[in-house]
Amino acid sequence: MARILEFEKVSKRFGGLLATNEVSFHVDEGEIVFLIGPNGAGKTTVFNLITGYVKPDAGTIRFAGQDITGKEPYQATRLGIGRTFQVVQPLPALTVRENVMLGTFLHHRRRADAAARADQVLEFMGLRARADQLASGLPLAQRKLLEVARAIGTGARLLLLDEVMAGLNPREAEEVVALIQRLPEFGITSVGGVEHIMRIVMSLASRVVVLDQGRKIAEGPPAEVVRDSKVVEAYLGTRFVAGGAR
Amino acid sequence: MSRLPWWPTVVFFVALTSMPLWMHDGYILQLVFRVVVFAVLGIAWNFVGGYAGQLSLGHVAYFGIGAYAMTLSTERIGWNPWLGVVLGAVLAAVAALLIGSITFRLRGPYFALSTIATAEIIRVLVQNQDTLTHGAVGTNAPLLFQAPDLDAKFFFGAMPLLGGAFALATWIHTSRFGYRLRAIRENEATAMAVGVNPAVDKLLALIPSAMVTALAGSMYASYFSFVGPDTVLNIEISVQAALIAMLGGAATVWGPILGSIVLTLTAEIFKNYFEHTHLVVYGLLLVVVVVFLPGGVISLFQRRWRFRRQAGPVGARQ
Repeated sequence: MARILEFEKVSKRFGGLLATNEVSFHVDEGEIVFLIGPNGAGKTTVFNLITGYVKPDAGTIRFAGQDITGKEPYQATRLGIGRTFQVVQPLPALTVRENVMLGTFLHHRRRADAAARADQVLEFMGLRARADQLASGLPLAQRKLLEVARAIGTGARLLLLDEVMAGLNPREAEEVVALIQRLPEFGITSVGGVEHIMRIVMSLASRVVVLDQGRKIAEGPPAEVVRDSKVVEAYLGTRFVAGGAR
Repeated sequence: MSRLPWWPTVVFFVALTSMPLWMHDGYILQLVFRVVVFAVLGIAWNFVGGYAGQLSLGHVAYFGIGAYAMTLSTERIGWNPWLGVVLGAVLAAVAALLIGSITFRLRGPYFALSTIATAEIIRVLVQNQDTLTHGAVGTNAPLLFQAPDLDAKFFFGAMPLLGGAFALATWIHTSRFGYRLRAIRENEATAMAVGVNPAVDKLLALIPSAMVTALAGSMYASYFSFVGPDTVLNIEISVQAALIAMLGGAATVWGPILGSIVLTLTAEIFKNYFEHTHLVVYGLLLVVVVVFLPGGVISLFQRRWRFRRQAGPVGARQ
């Protein structure tokens, strides 16, 4: 399978804190890989490194075989890496459709074409009825969906979902899981997602990368990773191994 | 414009352009000429301050560059003043590139302060350059039109400028470029996540903004036949440009036109009764708008015409 993302021995230091310490992992096309780990483990930093919001001190990041280390965020987007933000960042004074059009404008110069494409994405995300509303008026769950819609709109091949399900109730989370599983319809073959809700990670991920204090401590299929003693100690706690989801 | 029918625009421009044909009061024509020039200024400011949300308080730099370039190229090298007008726009574009690449590194209030600083640097340079610029005394600006009927000719001269600026604003309002600027205004991190390069797009907004401002500056200087650091490089003009756009409605096409009508006329009325109170009026108008009409005067009409509301208070988000 083709490697879409390669993260090779990447280190990033913030002052006295090594946010990521020689972390390596890869994502193949068609995979859904999840990054997990306790708060402060460096998950969001990894996303920021991939998308250029943070520049690495050492290491190499490749996207579809191309070296993208140190590229600017807009360049990462134009190459085909879409992302959502952990703290949702809709553009409040624009309508829901216009928020998504910002992404679709990358591939459609004409406003009408960009709007038509945006409507397709909104239809898929179940936000079509809200298209003409201001983004500031959406409830949290739908603002999260809008983040995803905007990222899909950019024509991303790799979508980085940063805790997109945090703050959603179980029913809403189920809906998002269903949407993520259908992402290949939009040509998105790979999703890396930072997520705390283990039940969702278990049901979605083909592979899990576990970070703790900036280091990768485990990697593998979710069912194996949750039995790893280092992972249990650092993150999950013993009750998870006993069989209960959190 | 989204849902405003096309005919009010045509009626407005035809009525305004024909004004010298039926209005022969020189004072009124002069007043409306100033409304037009400052509307152009507000429209140009809006590209940067309204759509891209970068609160520039240094636009007088480009205004002054336009005025001085026309005057000095005519006086020193004997150019046709119209060629000097073109030179002013070109020099303003160059200045925008230089000033923008420095000031756009800063955000919010720091950006606003740095634009004031760059405009003040230019004013101080001009003021202290006796040999080239005539220093603090200033000099006569050349006439772009010949007598008689100067009021009418200047008026007709300013209208294409307003029309051109209006057309440019209409394009930005609905184009992909305009959406990229709005994205920068709302949230730069998100803008980059949809592939926008804020550094480049801010410059691309500033350059036409500076050029239009320079054209307005040379037109204004020629009309009043004078350039001096205290007139065409006065920081008050920067404030007026920003105030007119915000007063009328930032990031709207019609906002600066409404803003210029309201601001120029109120300032004029108060100027006739109390000297210098027009400055107090600016302050009061700004407070009233920010508190009661954050979308600008245009928001009163938007409800009626069901315009889509695009703009919020620019300053509030800085």
